[in-house]
Amino acid sequence: MKNKAMQTTPDLSRRDFMKASAALGAMSLGVSTNKIFAAGSGKVRIGLIGCGGRGTHDATKCLNSSENVELVAMGDTFRDRLESCRKRLKQNLGEKVKVTDDACFSGFNAYKNVLACDVDMVILTTTPHWRPMQLKAAIEAGKHVFMEKPVAVDPVGVRSVIASSELADKKGLTIVAGTQMRRISHLVEGIKSIHDGAIGELVGGQCVRLGGGMLTWGPKQRQPDWSDMEWQIRRWLFITWLSGDFIVEMHVHNLDVMNWAFNAHPVQCIGMGGRQVRTAPEYGNCYDHFAVEYEYPNGVRVEYMGSQIDGVTNRNDQRFVGTKGRAYTDFGRVVIEGPNKAEYAWDRIDPCITQHADQIAAIREGKRLNEGKRIAESTLTAIMGRMSAYTGRALKWDWAMNASKLDLSPPKYEFGDLETRPVAIPGQTKLI
Amino acid sequence: MNKRVSRREFVKAAAAASLIGAGPALTSRLHAAGSGAVKVGLIGCGGRGTGAATQALMGVDKSVKLWAMADMFRDKLDVSYNMLSKGAKGRYDRVDFDGLADQMDVPEERKFVGFDAFRKLLGSGVDMVILTTPPHFRAEHFEAAVKAGKHVFMEKPVAVDPVGIRKVIAAAKLAKQKGLSVVAGTQRRHQRHYLEIIKRIHNGAIGEIVAAQCYWNGGGGSLRGEKPDGMSDMEWQLRRWYYFCWICGDHIVEQHVHNIDIMNWALQAHPVQCMGMGGREVRRGGNIWDHFAIEFEYPRGVRVLSMCRQIRGCSDRVSERIVGTKGFAYIDSATGYIKGENQYEPPGSPNPYVQEHVDLIKSIREGDALNEGVQVAESTMNAIMGRMSAYTGRALKWDWAMNASKLDLTPPKYELGDLPVAPVPVPGKTPLV
Repeated sequence: MKNKAMQTTPDLSRRDFMKASAALGAMSLGVSTNKIFAAGSGKVRIGLIGCGGRGTHDATKCLNSSENVELVAMGDTFRDRLESCRKRLKQNLGEKVKVTDDACFSGFNAYKNVLACDVDMVILTTTPHWRPMQLKAAIEAGKHVFMEKPVAVDPVGVRSVIASSELADKKGLTIVAGTQMRRISHLVEGIKSIHDGAIGELVGGQCVRLGGGMLTWGPKQRQPDWSDMEWQIRRWLFITWLSGDFIVEMHVHNLDVMNWAFNAHPVQCIGMGGRQVRTAPEYGNCYDHFAVEYEYPNGVRVEYMGSQIDGVTNRNDQRFVGTKGRAYTDFGRVVIEGPNKAEYAWDRIDPCITQHADQIAAIREGKRLNEGKRIAESTLTAIMGRMSAYTGRALKWDWAMNASKLDLSPPKYEFGDLETRPVAIPGQTKLI
Repeated sequence: MNKRVSRREFVKAAAAASLIGAGPALTSRLHAAGSGAVKVGLIGCGGRGTGAATQALMGVDKSVKLWAMADMFRDKLDVSYNMLSKGAKGRYDRVDFDGLADQMDVPEERKFVGFDAFRKLLGSGVDMVILTTPPHFRAEHFEAAVKAGKHVFMEKPVAVDPVGIRKVIAAAKLAKQKGLSVVAGTQRRHQRHYLEIIKRIHNGAIGEIVAAQCYWNGGGGSLRGEKPDGMSDMEWQLRRWYYFCWICGDHIVEQHVHNIDIMNWALQAHPVQCMGMGGREVRRGGNIWDHFAIEFEYPRGVRVLSMCRQIRGCSDRVSERIVGTKGFAYIDSATGYIKGENQYEPPGSPNPYVQEHVDLIKSIREGDALNEGVQVAESTMNAIMGRMSAYTGRALKWDWAMNASKLDLTPPKYELGDLPVAPVPVPGKTPLV
């Protein structure tokens, strides 16, 4: 899902791109010390796992981020998605796309086939459900990983991601998560100033993202030959076991900014939500609105409100309240109010490029760069909010992280019958 | 909320109140001076009305009399009359009592039923009325009571739409001119530990207020059962009023207004704007929702979170929290404290449902008119605005809602006939009126 800044901003100017690539050109001149990286050639060979819209986007950004990066293998559950992605990438990137027919894989095991190819790094952009198992396989196979947010849909998946991230450190592998807001200039500066005390001690906050019903997303018509499984995967955005629901799938971006500013994850939460508009069967079992109060350390309560409903007042911002002022942030600027008044604007450098450039440079220089645990925590922040809203129960972080047994995986991965689980009902849906 | 007050606390309150009752002669011109007697009329004889009547009668002294009763339905009036005269078990708002027949003088000719029962009661010679019908009727009843020169105890909320709010504010101003006492059933305003904590907040104990939260997350039910054969739509809706927005205002207005009122009290202001969401996941029948979450923005950019839910089996929370630059305050119906630079823990409070009547009758007798009309109208407006924002999905400004909104939920006519149920609101589709 594109964030607002990305949607409303035209493609990066040539100048921005040159600036970004010049910066890392300097870095890439260094001699690679990472044993795992194909030392000497400097070439980084990429495998793309998950060829949807975001996969196409990330592969494009990655290949444009640095010199001498090639796409050599691709995998997706569906052949048609893979082929359309491959065609687009070829058009966009030309010679950088060196994916032969025998390096294209489809089906549930496509990711294993890609990992068996001669690739240095994989981009994991399948739907969120598969992230934990694919990350695990990739790290075990010794690959660097760029993975999109969110990185799991349930606590079992979050624990797996944390374990894989720890393994990555042991193996000297890098992991970057697609939380580009961590690299956008105004937030980097603005949140640093919050950490440096610009608004005093944090005592409150708000995180609000409203609007955008996504009603036109995806195929609306089920084809006669599609099994339940195929229908659900093609409508994954609205199926909780696949997407995690929109609080996880999209709003993890905003919640990640909260965790970043607070330098912490929440201690507990209480949430509510439901679906008032997306009630038709093609919207699966996801909600269309959530409101969660997160309590951070020291009893600081933060409000999150999120919706995906058309025709409502749109908002997308975070706000931090301190003892000495306030910081308003969105995807375009940061405004500090109070005695340390300041404003930070986006420098127009595309953070989606920067995140890949950073990773390629780290790989080449053999530097540690591992965002796995951090994104796992932000993902659990969102998951815990969803769990609280679905069940109506207040939740503690420690319980969700360590004790919850929630695992949304289907009984088996095959194109067959799979009943869509009922929409959660607070007070009735069980807390697992 | 709903924590039963101990017998000891209640007796203490009643004793304190008696002292007041025995005080100097009355000075209010409007009150039947000299006798000390206060003739009370009860308009709305449901559970809360019956409760409020017991508190008015038991809280002060025996010279407070129930003089007349009015309700839409005779059966409801009779249940209330029998309970008041014979006694009843206690419930959330009151202790067990043995019957108050010696303070009741309600002959058949002062029992009124129907849509215009309130007008007849206002002409029956009462000094003070208790307005405890469902919220829809409050604005009209309050206006009529003030015009008739009566002191008023009225339950929250005091309206269900901005049109009703404007009526209440106008009537509250008229009451001020007339020197009439008006107390609202926002009993936290009469509860000692609330008073002590809020006073300290106003005196700077937690520094400048920068954030706050208020909640009424509790249980709730659905409209069950079919309309009985032969009963009109209107009667069915009035008898099951809670589930119909035009009568109840939805639970954010009907119930959560208590907590929202504390926000306005602590911040000494009403919000400037709000943004809300909500829906109904569990509740069936009627057209009210079962959960709301609203961000209210107060002056100086202070944002306040309000959450309310009526769904069984969820984690409950009914409280308020006010965050300042030097600490924070937590309050609920039983307890409270201030943490930070100026720690404070207040003593417990006597039964606030009694205290509000003690305060009202004292005010009537001393001719020092309490007037909570505008205050409760603003808190009610606050909740209505949150509901309107959630129903429509639109951010709202206070000034617009207060002055320009034309929302009026009144049905085409008050008669026991056909009345289709308005659809359950859908954000992004339900128009902002």
